[in-house]
Amino acid sequence: MFLSLKEIKKEKFRYGLIVTMIVMICYLIFILTSLAMGLSSQNTDAINSWNMKSIVLDKDSNTSLSQSLITKNQKKNINLSSKEALIGQASVVAKKSGLKKESAQFLGLNNKQFIAKDLVLTSGKKVNGPHQIVVDEQFKNDGYNLNDKLKFNSNKTEYTIVGFVKNAKLNIAPVIYGNIAAWQNIKNLNDQFVGSAIVSKDANYDANNQQLKTYSKSVFISKLPGYAAQNSTFIFMIGFLMIISLIVIAVFLYILTIQKLQNYAVLRAQGIPAKTLVNATISQSIILVISGLLIGTILTIFTALLIPNSVPMSFNIPILTSVGIGLIFTSLIGSLIPIKLILNVDPVSVIGG
Amino acid sequence: MTTLKLNNIDKFFGVDSSRVQVLKNINFTAKKGEINLVIGPSGSGKSTFLTIAGGLQTPSDGSVVLEGQSLKTLSNKQRDALRLNKIGFILQSYNLIPYLTVKEQFKLVKKIKKNHNLDDHSLNDLMKRLEISNLENKYPGELSGGQSQRVAIARALYTKPDIILADEPTAALDSERVIEVGKIFQKLAREQNTAVIIVTHDLRLAKFADKVYEIMDGSMNLNNELKKKAG
Repeated sequence: MFLSLKEIKKEKFRYGLIVTMIVMICYLIFILTSLAMGLSSQNTDAINSWNMKSIVLDKDSNTSLSQSLITKNQKKNINLSSKEALIGQASVVAKKSGLKKESAQFLGLNNKQFIAKDLVLTSGKKVNGPHQIVVDEQFKNDGYNLNDKLKFNSNKTEYTIVGFVKNAKLNIAPVIYGNIAAWQNIKNLNDQFVGSAIVSKDANYDANNQQLKTYSKSVFISKLPGYAAQNSTFIFMIGFLMIISLIVIAVFLYILTIQKLQNYAVLRAQGIPAKTLVNATISQSIILVISGLLIGTILTIFTALLIPNSVPMSFNIPILTSVGIGLIFTSLIGSLIPIKLILNVDPVSVIGG
Repeated sequence: MTTLKLNNIDKFFGVDSSRVQVLKNINFTAKKGEINLVIGPSGSGKSTFLTIAGGLQTPSDGSVVLEGQSLKTLSNKQRDALRLNKIGFILQSYNLIPYLTVKEQFKLVKKIKKNHNLDDHSLNDLMKRLEISNLENKYPGELSGGQSQRVAIARALYTKPDIILADEPTAALDSERVIEVGKIFQKLAREQNTAVIIVTHDLRLAKFADKVYEIMDGSMNLNNELKKKAG
């Protein structure tokens, strides 16, 4: 540690450049991870807020909420407990003159079932009529207010915003909660259709109907349109970035060690054990990477404070900590590569002869 | 009394047609309290002799015995410990660590070899004698050649070694400082019973030596005539 700290202190510019490089790598990985997490959570925020474990869909809907419909006949024999709730989904474009149009997901709920009952509003009140809606806060950010009246697509019916709810996103679109009757109206369905799906808090819930099938939450989420492709794209990007970082950091540490071999040869001639020199090299790598990580984290926090709300970023501390530990680990591997050179350094090379 | 003994040392470099014999049947004995000067021109094998004597290289043939222990029988770790505890190397190109100040060069040694070093008072005294007391916060890059050489000498003496192996220790020094370094080596040899072995082509040190050897084309002979010549 003594040798590594003294060298960093003396060669401030050289090590400053290396720390800058590590800061940039950490910053890039953190921002990319946060964006990936942000986008991912915008797909599933609403689903996660329901605390559901399983969902019942039409077995021919290809696990797609928008393709599924449940009929009155099918529902007749289904036992819905306090752990189940019917939802009716419709993709809509919400509009009010003078304000930005919003592509949204309308979800019709039954007021007496758990999703509607458990909704946590940030302002206003819950839906209590066929023409009332509670909307995601994105509407508020885009200029919509309580008691504003909206229309959906070409439908003439007006719906009044009675409340706002936070983090209600489904498939990257803001959610509009209304009731089942409103959903039937928007979809132009008669009362023969009671919803799109049954959501349950019970992982083993079975609707006991041959046309309906129960899916776990994870399977349902993985089948959300574009979700799996988007996530795997980000995972590959971050993975490749980690591998490239390892190579870049390892090359830098290797070059640094090569430059120090002359000094190490002098120390070996004096009888300084190889272990001391190996420890100095490893501790120096760890100091550089931890410094880079800390500065990268501070930069990421500042970025998060300054970035506009429209950019989805989510900071998952356990995942970002794992990324940080991963970087320390990769740099440790990088610093271990030139250790053979240190162990084999020839003290005679500095004496001549 | 014998500290270091080299018996029938041969050293070859290269193989087959490029094989060169650098040292030829060297027999050498250094006793405690004695200054031995090995004088020879460049390429005569001086530095090879020194590295073999210090256990940094192994001879092709023959044996090196340091305080009764054959270096052949020691592991690399044991040789490291031997160099750290028993031998003080003063190298040709000063070889100070560039990112440590003069004071930190000693601190590093103290971190590894915690005991049996010069105490602060003795170190200050040595630094005063070498006229480097005012340089303790300077980096090697800020020192002249002569100053670096004197710091390198002080660093080697700091561990209170039993043997000093010095490679051209006065190459960058003026005559006045050569005399001072010669006196320091003499004091070390007389007062601390240290065996001093200096390889050099600087005859100015000969008058401080107890024995002067001449090395030429890998062969070494005692030649006290050189001492007389140096006055």
